[in-house]
Amino acid sequence: MGAYIVRRLLQSIIVVIGVTLVSFLALQAGGDPTYLFVSERASAEEIEATRIALGFDRPLHEQYLSFVADLTRGDFGQSLSYRQPAMEIVLEALPATIELTFFAMLLALLLAIPLGVLAAINRGTAWDGSITTVSMLGQSIPSFWMGIMMILFFGLYIRLFPISGHVPFLTPLIAGDFGTAFSNLPRTIYHLVLPGIAVGTYSLARNTRLVRSSLLEVLEQDYVRTARSKGIPELRVLVSHALRNAWLPVVTIIGLEFGFLLGGVVVVETVFSYPGIGRLLFAAINQRDIPLVQAGVILLASIFILLNLLVDLIYVRLDPRVKLAGGRG
Amino acid sequence: MTEVQINAEAPQSGNGFRAEMRRARRVMIAARWPVFAVLFLLVAAIAATLGGLLAPFDPNRQNLMLRLADPMSVGPDGGLFLLGSDALGRDVFSRLLYGARVSLTVGFAAIAVGGSIGITAGLLSGYFGGWLDDAIMRLGDIQLAFPFILLAIMFLVVLGSGVWNLILVLGIGQWVTYARIVRADTLSLREKEFVEAARAMGDSTLSIIFRTILPNILAPLTVIASFNVASVILSEAALSFLGLGVPPDVPTWGSMLAESRDTLVANKWWLAIFPGLAIMLTVLSFNILGDWLRDFLDPRLRERT
Amino acid sequence: MKSHGSLIRTIAAGCLCAVLLIGCVEQSDDTIVVGLSADITTFEPGMISSRDNSNIARHIFSSLFALGPEGEHIPELAHTLDVTEDGTGYIYTLNEGLTCHDGESLTAEDVAYTFNRIADPVNRFTGNAPGFVFTSIGFQNAEALDELRVQINIERKNPIAFGLITEINVHCKDSYEQMSLDEAATSPIGSGPYKLASWTRGSEVVLEKVREPANFERIVWRIIPEASTRTAELIAGNADIITNVVPEQVDAINESGRAEVQIVSGTRRMYLGYNLSEEHAALPGGDAIQDPDVRRALQYAVDVSTICLQLLGVECERATGLVNIQNANPDLTPYSYDPQLAERLLDEAGWPRDDEGTRFAIRMQAGQGRYVNDVNVVLAIAQYLEDVGLDIELELMEWASVYTPLLRERSMGPLFFLGTGGGLWSPIYDMTDIAQVGSGTNYTHWSDPRWFDRWPDLVNTDDQDEQRAIINEMLEVFYDDGPWLHMYFQPDFYGVSNRIQWTARRDEYIEVFEATLR
Repeated sequence: MGAYIVRRLLQSIIVVIGVTLVSFLALQAGGDPTYLFVSERASAEEIEATRIALGFDRPLHEQYLSFVADLTRGDFGQSLSYRQPAMEIVLEALPATIELTFFAMLLALLLAIPLGVLAAINRGTAWDGSITTVSMLGQSIPSFWMGIMMILFFGLYIRLFPISGHVPFLTPLIAGDFGTAFSNLPRTIYHLVLPGIAVGTYSLARNTRLVRSSLLEVLEQDYVRTARSKGIPELRVLVSHALRNAWLPVVTIIGLEFGFLLGGVVVVETVFSYPGIGRLLFAAINQRDIPLVQAGVILLASIFILLNLLVDLIYVRLDPRVKLAGGRG
Repeated sequence: MTEVQINAEAPQSGNGFRAEMRRARRVMIAARWPVFAVLFLLVAAIAATLGGLLAPFDPNRQNLMLRLADPMSVGPDGGLFLLGSDALGRDVFSRLLYGARVSLTVGFAAIAVGGSIGITAGLLSGYFGGWLDDAIMRLGDIQLAFPFILLAIMFLVVLGSGVWNLILVLGIGQWVTYARIVRADTLSLREKEFVEAARAMGDSTLSIIFRTILPNILAPLTVIASFNVASVILSEAALSFLGLGVPPDVPTWGSMLAESRDTLVANKWWLAIFPGLAIMLTVLSFNILGDWLRDFLDPRLRERT
Repeated sequence: MKSHGSLIRTIAAGCLCAVLLIGCVEQSDDTIVVGLSADITTFEPGMISSRDNSNIARHIFSSLFALGPEGEHIPELAHTLDVTEDGTGYIYTLNEGLTCHDGESLTAEDVAYTFNRIADPVNRFTGNAPGFVFTSIGFQNAEALDELRVQINIERKNPIAFGLITEINVHCKDSYEQMSLDEAATSPIGSGPYKLASWTRGSEVVLEKVREPANFERIVWRIIPEASTRTAELIAGNADIITNVVPEQVDAINESGRAEVQIVSGTRRMYLGYNLSEEHAALPGGDAIQDPDVRRALQYAVDVSTICLQLLGVECERATGLVNIQNANPDLTPYSYDPQLAERLLDEAGWPRDDEGTRFAIRMQAGQGRYVNDVNVVLAIAQYLEDVGLDIELELMEWASVYTPLLRERSMGPLFFLGTGGGLWSPIYDMTDIAQVGSGTNYTHWSDPRWFDRWPDLVNTDDQDEQRAIINEMLEVFYDDGPWLHMYFQPDFYGVSNRIQWTARRDEYIEVFEATLR
């Protein structure tokens, strides 16, 4: 087990380096970014001086290697547009996004399980039909559109939830200010409801169908039939036999889910004016703020990798039949 | 991810094929929903191919004096704005028809790009193993560790937005899924007897990979492809929202929906509802079809989609 | 929808507040909330460049003099200005007893330090102050003459130096000498009526009152990028002022009964530019637009009034050139929409329609998401030009990373859509964009000697009437043969809650010192 984890972590380093290389090349492919960091009346000399100061005059491989060299020293560089340490800015925006994705994931999993079970045990009835249909609808609404509609309906028309904004919970928590964190918590959640639904709906819908279909399959299995024929109450069969196994495919996707949800976050953060990492990085890409983008993708990739490692380890726990093989991520 | 193994299917033969098709038709009609899905997609396909003939107006012809006209109101030259007009006075119905072409083209072409890269990579990876396998799979890891939308934004900001760039980016976003599945199937198939037999008969490696193995792993991929068309159409809408979709003079359902967002609060519902419905029904149809295909082909596939 | 919605609304909101005891606070009377569309990047006076950013900074830092809504001079930190004989030394006399937010007293030495710090090449500042103000006035240095008098030295006599210097944010010396550039960017120590209380990147900036003039104890600037969300927050009563209301949402706001949209004719000059550089002359259509007759013909081809009325929802102020209308040449009238005339002039200029009805093909470039309804305006312009026989190859680009570099290189076009900020206080300020052929803001590479040769006379005369005559003469050249297709001054849309009394300015400055509760 220990060796497996070490090996996975070593592979992860390669992956993270690869991620930085891809984003470096992508951002440089658009040409010299110097022009974005000079004023509109800058003279040719000023532009040249800025180019040298920002290091864009050097050959690409040199720029990249010096970036990696700095990285090994823990230096992520300065954001070009904010002129602040890049990693600090990214870390400042991360907690809000974690709150949002966590809330959306919770929604996508916690609601998906009862809904999926409900549909599966009532297979073929109106329950099944409506849950399946609604979840298919949920998979076909773009999140930005849903976000705006919810703002207009729940925010403006019936005024049930706040329209936009964010109340921090994790940030004061990390700073050790528990009083503020927990007094904020109800309002944090209150502000998370609409953006959380906008981010999580697609996953919720997909997971509901996944739970339904995997439960249906488990219910067909011999051991479930055996349990039933022994006269064990239906609910116990469901909980102790069927659900345990129906969980597995859901667990497998949790890791990938995080990356998927992060994708929706860019759009939803913009709609709800939510100060997270998605909007920050979108702006940074537009500004060609290479150090800021790099710090962001390194952070997100690391989280993604660790999360997937964790999921794989949990999976082994849940299903003793699975062995840790080759160790692909 | 931990792999979930499946049994390889029996090699395909010409005889079984016709029987399979008969069974497909029977099962589909019995299930009812897939029939609607197929019918809707057929309509969409007709719109996509014949849109130019059916559209009452040039989809890009503006009429600033007739902007934001209600559905069923009179358009220029006595024509009818069947579904109303947009913020530039362009006919929504005509744009919807033209939009079918671009949206579906983007959907299918992106799958074709992603699928062919993914299948080739997966076959090579699974058949040869070793360093090639390692390299390809690590590349996949790199891509998966990147939230796809950030990667797409990065490339589109730099390459500029356009239909072909969009197809390329959305396609590249898909390949890992295909590669992983094909790799796993190839791994299990390459030790099978009929592959051994082909090898013993002296078939070339390429022929074994593409003629012997490939046909036997294609079926499950169609399921994934049908789900992915749906997600590609949604991604296109999201990128349009961020201003990175197709150019504004190319109508797509996604961009029409994205453009409608400023008028939602002003109750210009037709700008959002019609492209929204088009997207919804398409996505729904592909999902239904995917579901049905999955059940039809192999219920055990479900864990990976 | 409005009438029976409100009961459900009140009940629902009431229940939720009762149950959760959260977040349902009505807006407090000592706080004003402003919703902005663009993000804030810095509070470093040398780095601030966007309008939204400097609007917030304006409340934290005072300047020597300020400009009023109609361009009038308003004393702030200084009460008197004397200009030296040769016009290159500006001597300001400060008020007594000024202090910065940390209590440090603000004297002539501090002002000199502020100016010299911005110009210091070691700091590599690229904001509006060094990049636009200092390059425009030819800033040399600043020195304290005594406790209260500071002298700003500029390269040569400049009729608009006074107005430009109003844009410099003043702060104290000791506090900024102690801070690193990092710290200065995030924790400004200013000289204005408000100080920075908190800044959450991408979310909000909160300012607290330190002195008069300031009617509200707190100003909250919220960053709300999505237009519908801003409008919703305004109607819901969570924002008092919002910027950049989308024209399509104006009615929804006005009908809500809770807020109204103020539409002012702004000072930003919107135009379709012609890139006349040699490289562009070699592109398709680039040769055609070299001819002033072709450019004049196209002035008649675009129905600017209809574009304004339909796409912006207002009758906008039409432009006759690059100077804001109150300072423009009064003899010029905006070009009328006359497509037949345009076609005839194009025929005469030697660009008849070919068999397919096309006169010439030309590329048109524009950024998107920057100006009011810009994408639709650009699409409409393209349609009008196609109607008179041009074959437009339209390229709409991402603003920051694609269009901006082109602007900096002056390589967009041959046709390009742009809006540049102007002022009401001097026609020369508006004309300065094209002060030199090679200037970074002469995006057109226009080089007509009838314009550029008059520039020295314009700058050197002290006689107001003579100056006006030269200006009128130059503007006529620009009107007839200039490098712009003259369009309109951008109307600005501000949503203002009925709770407050506030008047929008025309120059995109947002000042809430004077705002009051109704």
